[in-house]
Amino acid sequence: MIECQDVSFSYPASALPDSERQTGGALKHISCTIEDGSFVLLCGTSGCGKTTMTRLFNGLIPHYHEGTYTGSVYLDGKDTRDLSLFDISLKVGSVFQNPRSQFFNVDTTSELAFGPENHGMAEDIVRERVKRVAAQLKLEPLLDRSIFSLSGGEKQKIACGSAAAIDPDVYVLDEPSSNLDTYAIADFRQLLFALKSQGKTIIISEHRLYYLSGLFDRVLYLKDGEIEGDYTAEEFCRLSAKQREEMGLRPLELAGLSGVEGPPQRINEAVWTIKNVSFAYKHEPETLHITETTFPSGSATAIIGHNGAGKSTFARCLCGLEKHFKGTVQDRSKIYSRKERLKLCYMVMQDVNHQLFTESVLDEILLSMGTEDKQRAREILKEMDLLPYEDCHPMGLSGGQKQRVAVASAIASERPLILFDEPTSGLDLFHMRQVASVVNQVADTGRTALVVTHDPEFILRCCNYVLHLENGQIQESYSIENNDGRNRLLKFFLNDMEKEVSTE
Amino acid sequence: MSRELLASQKNNSGILLDPRTKLAVLITIAVFILGGSYEGVMQYYIIALAAIPLLLLLAARKWKGAVLYILIFGGSLCLEMFGLSRLTGVANYIAVAVVGILLRFTPSVVMGYFVVTTTTVSEFVAAMERLHLPQQITIPMSVMFRFFPTVAEEWSAIGDAMRMRGVRFGGGKASAILEYRIVPMMICSVKIGEELSQAALTRGLGGPVKRTNICKLGFHVQDVIFLLICLGAFAAQIYVLAARG
Amino acid sequence: MNNKLQGKDLINIGIFTAIYFIVIFAAASIGFIPIFIPLISVIVPLVGGIPMMLFFSKIKKFGMLTICGVLLGIIMLLTGMGWWCIPTGLIFGLISDFMMKACDYKNAKREVLIHGVFSMWVIGAFIPIVVTRDAYYQNLLPGYGQEYADTLMAYMPDWILPVLLIAAFVSGLVGGLIGRKIFKKHFERAGIV
Repeated sequence: MIECQDVSFSYPASALPDSERQTGGALKHISCTIEDGSFVLLCGTSGCGKTTMTRLFNGLIPHYHEGTYTGSVYLDGKDTRDLSLFDISLKVGSVFQNPRSQFFNVDTTSELAFGPENHGMAEDIVRERVKRVAAQLKLEPLLDRSIFSLSGGEKQKIACGSAAAIDPDVYVLDEPSSNLDTYAIADFRQLLFALKSQGKTIIISEHRLYYLSGLFDRVLYLKDGEIEGDYTAEEFCRLSAKQREEMGLRPLELAGLSGVEGPPQRINEAVWTIKNVSFAYKHEPETLHITETTFPSGSATAIIGHNGAGKSTFARCLCGLEKHFKGTVQDRSKIYSRKERLKLCYMVMQDVNHQLFTESVLDEILLSMGTEDKQRAREILKEMDLLPYEDCHPMGLSGGQKQRVAVASAIASERPLILFDEPTSGLDLFHMRQVASVVNQVADTGRTALVVTHDPEFILRCCNYVLHLENGQIQESYSIENNDGRNRLLKFFLNDMEKEVSTE
Repeated sequence: MSRELLASQKNNSGILLDPRTKLAVLITIAVFILGGSYEGVMQYYIIALAAIPLLLLLAARKWKGAVLYILIFGGSLCLEMFGLSRLTGVANYIAVAVVGILLRFTPSVVMGYFVVTTTTVSEFVAAMERLHLPQQITIPMSVMFRFFPTVAEEWSAIGDAMRMRGVRFGGGKASAILEYRIVPMMICSVKIGEELSQAALTRGLGGPVKRTNICKLGFHVQDVIFLLICLGAFAAQIYVLAARG
Repeated sequence: MNNKLQGKDLINIGIFTAIYFIVIFAAASIGFIPIFIPLISVIVPLVGGIPMMLFFSKIKKFGMLTICGVLLGIIMLLTGMGWWCIPTGLIFGLISDFMMKACDYKNAKREVLIHGVFSMWVIGAFIPIVVTRDAYYQNLLPGYGQEYADTLMAYMPDWILPVLLIAAFVSGLVGGLIGRKIFKKHFERAGIV
């Protein structure tokens, strides 16, 4: 049993970048009791304190994150202050958001053995544990692999396995689905069922709620650092769509998305044409093979498909980042060479930190301009709601603001084609809509937007057209400006979840 | 993946050696070939030592590495034996420096290459633990090897972003380019590092008990042979020194 | 505060050693052209200041720089540069650690000096080239004559080691200053300190 008694926590101001100093995930007067064997969902908008709350349970507060901490958290009657992280790690297992950063080892088997090794268990016991966990969570096919060869979904499963190898009673998961596609999420759902059936206590903080239905039996809704709602599963499911949206939460099921308000009609006869594409990474089979495809110019197009379908590779080739790309890209007027495409396209990367270089937001925009024009730069910043931050360090901004800086510098460089690589992974409803409106803004000003994404609601909000890639080939492409197209899109996403139901 | 410094996946071809044996060979080569002991009987012994990396590469079917090694090392040797005396002036000066350095560094570099491509991180760390290195060294070491590919990934992603934004060398901005590349790389790496620490600590790293390791290590016949060759080198050197003084 | 190195400190050492090594490795690639090898002792401390000054800001305990130095030595051994960097890394790391302790881990100006000292570990990469060069050339190349030996000595004179050591120290100071500048300009404002 976990008990929080009047817990308040705030991070030290110096530990936060400029933009987050106001809210910063602080908690105020949290009191709650979490019973053994329950599955608790923590939800709320970004910055509401969900992540901070998970840190109370796994001991990172107060043992890793410093800050002002009052009240107490009791794990089975013991104050977490009196336990070390080492002690807590026997009782509470943690899984984090980013599958790339939570591995300590470079191969999967060592990763599963990592926890038990740290606790000094004898070698044959550790081996036994690895075997057992692999069997229980169906991880056998992943054993003895390099973590660099795993997909995001596989990494997240190994992360769970690694936590499970210590055999804790409680699991704390912080937005584990952020970087997964619908198929991997369905798979991950199975794993959560397996843990739940072992009678474990599970606490999960999440934005995407649809994959958790039928799993959670209690929902804690946080707002501004306080528990604002404490629901049973039935109560929570009974909330109307409107109530849920007011709370800033994503939908509980994908089917309800067909009513989402779409973007204006933008498709006309102007198109970009891609022909005779063939691409392979060194020493690997062909990853991309497209005879001919088109997508509308001046509109937003979503690129969908499962992990490994070649979506990101396609985007990279289009941008001219891959030298061995064979094929042509053209619009009405001309065919563009690779070097020209580097100047034609601008990609807003999944990890936007990679593309911000300078010491202030304004410099960042100026860097993209052919000739520096401060007035024009400020205009662009204003369009993107960034003017108050013009002197801030780009890396000190929040994730959404950074994304907008990248888009603003794309606009400043006057590129006609702007690509987004999974721009909404890990975003709450409000921020997802914000990105959607940025994409809409790009398309409304006559530029072409291409979005690689797994987020159906986001696509419905801002895209006009869909390119569906599978195994490096275009499986289908269609307009979603009519209801047929929209239903076809939703069906693709729903299929993944249904496949999973049939195997249950 | 070529960006790894140590392998992340097992590669079971060629002569399987314990990581400790590989290290012993590497150190022996570093001491005698790089250290420049070429007196008396050592002249012949170092040729045997220089042949070890070649043998190991061939056995592991790393043809490309083996051919490159033969070309560079053999080429330098030929140049040194037959070419140097014919060159004069600046050409001689440069050739002497280049040949001297290549001859002495290549065996050591190639042996290093063999070690890092055939040893996994877990094996290497396990070997270090068996050699009784304290946890204060082995823990940072495993983090470091784990982190090389990650930092390299960040590095190349940032390079892509720079190409896309048209930020290039030249135009009197060389220092700015370095700054643009190093700073985001460090910020991203430090953030990943923070997350890595949290993930490791919540799984009990750094506790008061001694870590165990499931990695299987052990000496076999081939290890014994190579270790004897290494010991022989030290014995021969002692003999040479004793004979001299 | 507990003065023993904790898990978090050990992980930080690993992370920063990796970053440092990649940065200096990328910058020192120029040294793969053998004739430029001596330049490494200038380039490495110059660019190394950027990651190191950030690392220094995270150091609050004794021993972190010593471990970092030893790890650098081990990687140098693995990349075929000989084993001499292990002792030099250990020695200069240890001196740096003492200096950090003496200024109570919070003197930014002193940190520049410490970076100069720490940078001298690179000398380990040159020791095998210089120290044993006589034995090498005399034994492998008998009968090349005086002219040949003179060329050699001109390229690698006896005084080159101390010169390289001083070069490393001075460029370490400059590197430290650059590192401080970048630190203030970027890292502090980005909130990762």
